[in-house]
Amino acid sequence: MGLKLIVLIKQVPDIAKVRFDVEKGRIDRSSAEAEINPFDLNALEAAVQVKEKVGGIVTAISMGPPQAVTSLKDAIARGADEAILLEDKVFAGADTWATSYTLSCAIRKVGDFDLIFCGEKTVDGDTGQVGAEVAEQLGIPHIYYVSKINDISQDKIKVMSEVDESSYLLESDFPLLVSVTKDVNKPRLPTLRDKLKAMKAEIKVWHANDLSDVINLANVGYFGSPTTVHKVVIPKEKERQGKTFKDVPGGVNFVLDALEAKKLI
Amino acid sequence: MNDIVKTLEDIVGPEFVITSKEQMESYLIDETSIPVRPTPSTECILVKPSDSNQISAIIKLANEKGIAVYPRGGGTGLVGGAIPTKVGIIVSMERMDKIVVDKENLMAEAEAGATLGQLLKAADEAELSFPPHPGDEGAQIGGLIVCNAGGARAVKHGVMRNFVKGLEVVLPTGEILKLGGKLLKDNMGYSLMHLMIGSEGTLGIVTKAFIKLTPKTERTLTLLLPFNTRHEALKCVPKILNAGVVPLALEYVEREVMELSAEHLGEKWIVSGKVFLIAILAGGENEVFSDAEKMSTIALENGGLEPSIAERRDEQESILKIRSNIYTALKPRYGDILDTTVPPSKIGELAEIIDAISEKYSAYIPVYGHAADGNVHSHVMKEDLEKYDKIKEEIYKASIELGGVITGEHGIGKIRVKELYKFLPAKQIELMRQIKKAFDPNNILNPSTVLD
Repeated sequence: MGLKLIVLIKQVPDIAKVRFDVEKGRIDRSSAEAEINPFDLNALEAAVQVKEKVGGIVTAISMGPPQAVTSLKDAIARGADEAILLEDKVFAGADTWATSYTLSCAIRKVGDFDLIFCGEKTVDGDTGQVGAEVAEQLGIPHIYYVSKINDISQDKIKVMSEVDESSYLLESDFPLLVSVTKDVNKPRLPTLRDKLKAMKAEIKVWHANDLSDVINLANVGYFGSPTTVHKVVIPKEKERQGKTFKDVPGGVNFVLDALEAKKLI
Repeated sequence: MNDIVKTLEDIVGPEFVITSKEQMESYLIDETSIPVRPTPSTECILVKPSDSNQISAIIKLANEKGIAVYPRGGGTGLVGGAIPTKVGIIVSMERMDKIVVDKENLMAEAEAGATLGQLLKAADEAELSFPPHPGDEGAQIGGLIVCNAGGARAVKHGVMRNFVKGLEVVLPTGEILKLGGKLLKDNMGYSLMHLMIGSEGTLGIVTKAFIKLTPKTERTLTLLLPFNTRHEALKCVPKILNAGVVPLALEYVEREVMELSAEHLGEKWIVSGKVFLIAILAGGENEVFSDAEKMSTIALENGGLEPSIAERRDEQESILKIRSNIYTALKPRYGDILDTTVPPSKIGELAEIIDAISEKYSAYIPVYGHAADGNVHSHVMKEDLEKYDKIKEEIYKASIELGGVITGEHGIGKIRVKELYKFLPAKQIELMRQIKKAFDPNNILNPSTVLD
C-alpha cells in the first residue's frame, strides 16, 4: 500500500543574486543559478516525511524549459522517487491559470493520487495562486499555509493552517492539495551518494502531444492565458541615506519623528 | 595635554579630534574576551585622519611630546592589540576607506580603513575575487595586514601575507615609505614589507595596500562529513590532503557548538553525527564533485557517517553562517580562545591531548578550527577560569612539542607577551627588540604589544 504523493516544483533563479533588466521589465535569468523554488523544498521534504511515516511513492512534477531537468534531479536526490517535466514551446508564457491547467492535466495523466504538496508561493512570481488553482481544476479540496503536519495515516491528514492571524487545526481525507509554509519543516541536505545517483537518474519529459488524451491545447501557454500583462515596473532599489545634523535637538526630533511615523515608538 | 589637542585639531580638523569619554568608549576595547582583556587607559585622545601626511604629522608630534600612538582598525582583534593601555593618541583609520580595482593587473589598491566587506564587494563588482576570508567582514585592511590574518580559506590560498604585494606605511618616526607595489616579483633588498605584515601595528602604520585579486571561481560546493569521534574526523585530514584534494576550506566543528550557534541564529542544525569536517570545494562542476567523492570515500573508510552535500547558495550559506557564528554564540560563555597551530598531520594528536587535559581538569573545552592548516581554537570557559593558567600552559606546551606555535592567526597582542618570551629563544626576542628599536627608537607606536 502506501500513499501516492505528488509534489509540484518550479525552477526559479536564485532570487538573491538575480539581476533585473529594468528596460525590458524582465528577469535576466542568465545572471543567477537556477534552482528549486525554496518553498517547494519544504513541500518536497513534507512529502518525503509522509512517505517515511506511512509509506508511499513521491512523484515530482514541474513545468518549465528543458534545463529544469536539473531541478527535478535535485528533487530525486532529496527523496522523490520519480520526476516528470512538462516541456513544450506551447506551454511557454503561461499565467497562473494556464499553468495550473497544464499541471492538472499532467496529474490526471499520472492517474490515482492521494496528496499533492506545493510551496505557498514561488520567489519569482510571488502569486501563491497555482496550488489552489490546480486543486480547483482537479475538483479536489485544498488546505493552504500549512505550518505543521500533526498527524498522517493511510486515509487522513491533520494539519495546522495559518491564515491571517489565526491557526486552524484541520483534518481531511484524500485526495487533497496541501500548500506548506517555511515553518512546516527544515529540508534536509541530500547525501552525496543520493546526489551522485540522481545526476544519472532519468527524468520523464512530457511534451504537449504526450498529454493529447487529457489536454485542450487552447488552454495552455501564452494563448491560453486570460491574464494580459500591460506593463512591468521594477521598483528602483533605494539607497541608504545619511543625514548629518549640526544642532543636536533638531537631530533628536528628526529621529523621534521618523520612529513615530513608523509606529516604532 | 591641551596643547596636544590643539595641535591635533590643526592637523586633522577640530571635528575629527575626540576627547569626550562617551564618544571614545568603543575605541578603547576590541573583541578580546573580558576576563583576559587589558585595562585601557582613560587618558586618550581619538583622532580620525584622512591621509598619510596627517598621520605623519601626528606621529611627529607624538615623538616630540613622548606620547604613545595606537593605530585603530575595525577592532576585531582577540588579543588586545588595539587597546590603548597608556596615555596616548588613538589613530582611527575609518575615514581612509577608498578602494580602486586595477583589473589589468588583478590588483586592488585599498586604503587601510576600508573593511574586508568593502574589499569583497569591490572585487565582486569588478568580476574578480578576493579568495581568502581572513576574518570578520568589519575588520579593516590595515588591521588584516599588520595582524597577518588567516581565516578558514588559508588551506588553498594562504594567509593575508600571500595577497599583499605593496604597502604605503608611515614609520614610527614620521617618514612615509612605499614598499613593494603592483608587483609579483620584488627582490630589491630586505623585504621591509613582509616585516610590516604581522607586526601588529608596532613597526609602522599601514595607510594603503596593493592586494592581489584572482579571477572568479566557477562554483563552490559544501561537503559535510559527519563522524562519531574527534579522533576519527581529524585523522582523515592528512589523508584527504594526501589524496590531492585541496579544498578552499576544511573546518572541524562539533555538534554541541553547532547546535548552540544555530539556536543563537534562530535556526536548526539537523545533520546527524557528533563531530564534522566541513569542506568547501571550489572549481568546475566535474572537479568539485570528483573531489567530494574522494573525500567521502576517505571519510567512510575511516569510520565516517554518510556525507551530505550543499550545492544551493542558500544552503551553503546557512552552514557557513552557523559555523561562523560559533564565535558569537560562545562569546558570553568563554574566558579565552586559544589559537595554537601544529603541523596538519599532528592535529589528531593535539586533539587527543586536549581531550586528556579536559578530563584531567574536568573542564569542558569546546574545540573548533581550521583543520587542514592545523589551527585549533580551544576555548577555556568562564566556569574554568581558576584552572585557566594551567590549561593554557598545557595546551601551549603540547602544541610546541608537536612542532607548532602558540598562535597561528590571532597574534601576540598585549595578552600573550609573557608566553612569547617563554616559548621563543632569547636570541630571537633580542633580534626582535633590535628591529623594534631601529624602527621606533622612542617606543611610541603601540607599546607593550608583541614586546613589552
